[in-house]
Amino acid sequence: MKMMLQIGVVFGICLIGQTISVFLPIAVPGSVISMVLLFLLLFFKVLKVDHIRKKADFLLQNMAFFFIPAGVGILANLPAIKDYILPLLAVVVLTTFITFGASALTVQGVIAVQERVVTGKIKRKDKKHE
Amino acid sequence: MNEVFASPFFGITLSILAYEIGVLVSRKTKLAIANPLLIAIVLCIAVIELAHIPLESYNAGGNLIAIFLGPATAVIAISIYNQLSRLKKYFIPILAGTLVGSLASVGSAYFLCKLFGMGDVLTKSMVVKSVSTPFALAISKNIGGIPAVSVAAVVITGILGAVCAPMLIKIFRVKNPIAAGVAIGTSSHAVGTSKAIMIGEIEGAMSGIALGLAGLLTVAITLLLKF
Repeated sequence: MKMMLQIGVVFGICLIGQTISVFLPIAVPGSVISMVLLFLLLFFKVLKVDHIRKKADFLLQNMAFFFIPAGVGILANLPAIKDYILPLLAVVVLTTFITFGASALTVQGVIAVQERVVTGKIKRKDKKHE
Repeated sequence: MNEVFASPFFGITLSILAYEIGVLVSRKTKLAIANPLLIAIVLCIAVIELAHIPLESYNAGGNLIAIFLGPATAVIAISIYNQLSRLKKYFIPILAGTLVGSLASVGSAYFLCKLFGMGDVLTKSMVVKSVSTPFALAISKNIGGIPAVSVAAVVITGILGAVCAPMLIKIFRVKNPIAAGVAIGTSSHAVGTSKAIMIGEIEGAMSGIALGLAGLLTVAITLLLKF
């Protein structure tokens, strides 16, 4: 698909996502709803990945760049945090590390349990067949 | 001169230049701390502070860049779709990881804020720090936090996650790319996800799923715990 049309498809989905987010009773960001919408369109084969590949690659490869204004915007929030910047930084660093460790170890642990259960089932089946 | 800086081209050009310098430094030094995003933000802030350029002037261009965040998050759906079989097979571990991670984030932020003697309002502003800005803003307003503090904490958390993700993967000896992706998305939302995408497609997809799930779960957790 032509680049302009690809941009139109992706931006159109974002517009619908944002509109839905306005009407939802709980705050779900328009971008997350757009992600779900696009996933459903791909899942039900309304869209093919090739239809939007070029635009998607451009967006994904440059995602970090799009966060620069948000980072620079912290200047506007500095007055609100300047009196307790050190404890705030300490909390941010510690909780980010704790959160990372907790979720990574949980995923690996549950996968290990899940795989043991699955192989256990297969073994039991094999014994029955014997 | 102020008219020049108020042009949208100023913010866009400055951001692109700063980012390209960041990419270059990152490539030359190969240090984790030399993260292109971090370097770009520091350079942009240095320029507008030293030249006394109002933030609104930078934002004339900056807002045009930030517009692309929505579409960039949306197209993570493609990576998730490509990883559909993994998502189905490992849905329970992924959900468990985001749930435990979100609880750890809210819980540790709460207790550490109390430990450091930060007041109630500040604590409420901080418990939302691991979810992306729109989620965090809504929750923070809802439970009586200060939105500006929440946004600052969210942005710093995201940049920290993006910079430290490779190091954290080593520290916690995370061998499974699914676990790494879920951990990045849960602990440092969309900014961390931008790094996860660069690490690999599985990591990027899982981080994308985790950032959505962690946001929803954090809304639920803060409602249930009645902060």
